[in-house]
Amino acid sequence: MNLTGKIRLLCGPALIMLAASAALAGQAGGPIKVIDSLERTVVVPAKVERVISLEPEITRIIVALGGGERLVGIDFFLRHHDRLFTLVFPASQDLPVVSNQGQDLNYEEAIRLRPDIIFASPSEFRTAETVERKMRVPVLALASMGRFQDLLAEIETLGRVLGQEERAARLTTYFNRRMEDVRRAASASAAGSRPVVYLTFWGSLVRTPVSYEPVDAAGGQNPASRLLPSYLGTAGTTVSIEQILRWDPEVILVQGNYPPAERRVTVEGVLGDPRLASVRAVRNGRVHYTFGFWYWWDPALVLVESLHIARLLHPGSLPAFDLTKEGDEIFKEFYGTDGLFSALGRVLECHEWNPE
Amino acid sequence: MKVRVENLVFSYPNFTLEVAGQTFVDARVTSIVGPNGAGKSTFLKCLAAVLPAPRRSVFVNGNDLADLKGRSRARHVGYVPQEPALSFNYTVLDFVLTGRAASIPVFSSPSRHDFEAAEEALRFVGLADFSARTYFELSSGERRLVLIARTLAQRPDILLLDEPTTFLDPRHEVEILELVRRLAGEMNKTVIVTLHDLDMAVKYSDEMVFMKGGRVVASGPPADILNESLLRSVYDIEMGILNVAGRRLIVR
Amino acid sequence: MSGTRNKKRTAAFILAAVLPVVILILSLNIGAYRIPPKAVFTTILGAVFPGGGNAQPSPYADILFRIRLPRLLLALFAGAALAVSGASLQALFKNPLVFEFSLGISYGAAFGAALSLVFLGRKIPPQAAAFVFAIVAVLAVLVIAGKSASHVVTILLSGVIVSALFQALLSLVEFFANPYALQSLIFWLMGSLAQAEWSDLGITLPIIGVGVTVLILLRWRLNVLSLGDDEARALGVNVSREKVVVIVLAALTTAAATAVTGVINWVGLIVPHLVRMAVGADNRKVIPLSAAYGASLLLVADDIARSAASFEIPIGILTSVVGIPFFIVLLKKSGKIWL
Repeated sequence: MNLTGKIRLLCGPALIMLAASAALAGQAGGPIKVIDSLERTVVVPAKVERVISLEPEITRIIVALGGGERLVGIDFFLRHHDRLFTLVFPASQDLPVVSNQGQDLNYEEAIRLRPDIIFASPSEFRTAETVERKMRVPVLALASMGRFQDLLAEIETLGRVLGQEERAARLTTYFNRRMEDVRRAASASAAGSRPVVYLTFWGSLVRTPVSYEPVDAAGGQNPASRLLPSYLGTAGTTVSIEQILRWDPEVILVQGNYPPAERRVTVEGVLGDPRLASVRAVRNGRVHYTFGFWYWWDPALVLVESLHIARLLHPGSLPAFDLTKEGDEIFKEFYGTDGLFSALGRVLECHEWNPE
Repeated sequence: MKVRVENLVFSYPNFTLEVAGQTFVDARVTSIVGPNGAGKSTFLKCLAAVLPAPRRSVFVNGNDLADLKGRSRARHVGYVPQEPALSFNYTVLDFVLTGRAASIPVFSSPSRHDFEAAEEALRFVGLADFSARTYFELSSGERRLVLIARTLAQRPDILLLDEPTTFLDPRHEVEILELVRRLAGEMNKTVIVTLHDLDMAVKYSDEMVFMKGGRVVASGPPADILNESLLRSVYDIEMGILNVAGRRLIVR
Repeated sequence: MSGTRNKKRTAAFILAAVLPVVILILSLNIGAYRIPPKAVFTTILGAVFPGGGNAQPSPYADILFRIRLPRLLLALFAGAALAVSGASLQALFKNPLVFEFSLGISYGAAFGAALSLVFLGRKIPPQAAAFVFAIVAVLAVLVIAGKSASHVVTILLSGVIVSALFQALLSLVEFFANPYALQSLIFWLMGSLAQAEWSDLGITLPIIGVGVTVLILLRWRLNVLSLGDDEARALGVNVSREKVVVIVLAALTTAAATAVTGVINWVGLIVPHLVRMAVGADNRKVIPLSAAYGASLLLVADDIARSAASFEIPIGILTSVVGIPFFIVLLKKSGKIWL
């Protein structure tokens, strides 16, 4: 299914969610009904003061909406493995960890913290039901699964849940505006050319996502988009080197969202791999780092990512573009602090990432 | 003397074997008899180096058995155990071939010569046609014969057989013991057997060694040493010796 | 009856010598990148006799010699290694249910790989760490078994203990792993020939080659050792020394293969049994035939793994899913004693 088809398919549930929640939001001050990613209808209390989120993407949005101080616990991944989040929300270091490395909720800890609402991952249907049953607290299973439309819908929904509709609206507008920049850059370049972009993610040359909207938005083609993911509910699949040769990508993007010492696949490694010597991207030196994702998006980072990829794919289409400066600006818009992207850059050594 | 014992002492937690001095007549059949727990098997295993007897207690062809290792020992002494448990269904020929292990270098396979030795051994025990049969197909008696053939293929001077006739029917018992006699008679092997059946021991041995409580009570040709008081002292019951049709039979 | 057996044996031997080579040549034609068979032929010729008139487009040579050939050679050697090790250990321990991973090698290797993938990053590659810890596991087994290392039950028990120990350590490492590393580890554990590169093979293939060759030289000796310690000793064999030699060889070959491919189960158990069913228990036949058929089996399994679906099926899963039912069917069919 091509990009347009996908967007059409996504618009459906997104619009239903928007319409339904808008209609129900008319009851001022009363509880709200929300339809989550698993199409469960959940009644959320009007005042939500104590929040637990097991889905990192949602946690990030909550912080962006100014709801950070309402978090009473933090999940395992964000505490231990997410470099960006500690920069974005330093106060999270003091929050108790409420899940294990499998992101399963630690019930005793959670009960002690008396949340008003819990956000869960929709990857397993039963998780949400089980948590709701055991905690007797509304549970919303939300995640964008990598889709921008759903990301925006989430921002809007969370805005309503937290009573921050205005801020949510501002953020979605900003997001759409910046994404327009990306799309403009994509269409401004040589008409009709959509370069084939191969993504090597998750520490292995042959692991790649079957859908990656930043590449689509930036005007590239992900050759793996026709494949099925290895596990349903995730976005990744495993291909073979022969398949990469067959696709002959013009650009290869390496996930660099972790410090250089931990990277198993590197740009130098790809450029120097004798098996890939005949690939266009390698021959032309168009192998670059990109951020990628883990537990779906950080809304600010995905914008930076899209701009970064647009510039890589269509050099010259975004003149006077300083990745660090743009990044800091975008992060300030979302999280209200200066220099966040620079700080991340120092950890990931992003200064390497600017193409000459 | 090919096999000689001097002050052999071997202890288990609850049992001690003590043989002050014993010689075994060359190229003849000697049987070791006695009640259960007398130490027959232990004695035989010490002679075979299956149990580690102390130094300077067992001498084989003039050598201290404790000094003979592996290959050289195998050329002197061949040990036929009671029926072993085999995990793999080898053919009879392959089974007998393993007896050639002492003569075949570690990284080699059997040669023409080894095959001949194996086939010759099979012929001697009367199983020349059995080469291609598999071990699990064989009857108990046939398995014993094959076992003896294996030890024969080894070509030792001295053959030690541990209870070769247990659980066999009379016909096979006789077959085995006839074979044992031929080993001594035709091949000049020094054969030492442990037997539980006194009658058969008397009939087929050139010499006998009576054991009790870990010690040798008497030894020598049956005609010389066999009498009722010996039997009483060894077996703790009254036994009689009858002469029937030129043979001596023991009755309880 | 013995006539049929002989015919079966001769056929098995001829097939064995030829089969892996034939399968390898056919497998060169299989892969995601379509190369017409004629092009395969000319590209290979061009490499063997350089200076030919036609220059093939470069992807063909790259794919055949950089991607497919190393992978196929790895499959061939690893298959032989696992099958021969399994067969040797079965003979040594008089136990048809023993296989090459009974000595704790699989979990030792897995733990080594985990350590590398999770903690050591690129400093020590997973292959090296896997190899080292596979050997450590075998040494641990021998040490724990101690003086009674020649006793079957003791050494198998030690194998179970050491496997359990490394399994626990593996779980511990998984606990501390970040999600990226955990993903890599899980894939490694399922077994794969996908990342075969000449740099790995340069070390692995010689080790396996030597190990398998020596084990094949020891094939008759295994008949003797399989009689049991006491009997072998009585036959004049230095049992302890020869047993240790076999164990070390089996361990080295298995560790070398597993370090690069990950854990591939069932090959070392099934192939020797199939061979015994066909030609009998004599290790003079079983060992070399196991090498040949193990190599063939893994080649075919790998062909399926990389061509059956759009993504790579981990080969360990394939050998299990195909091997186990196949084994059960054969077990039921052959009512006679075939061990």
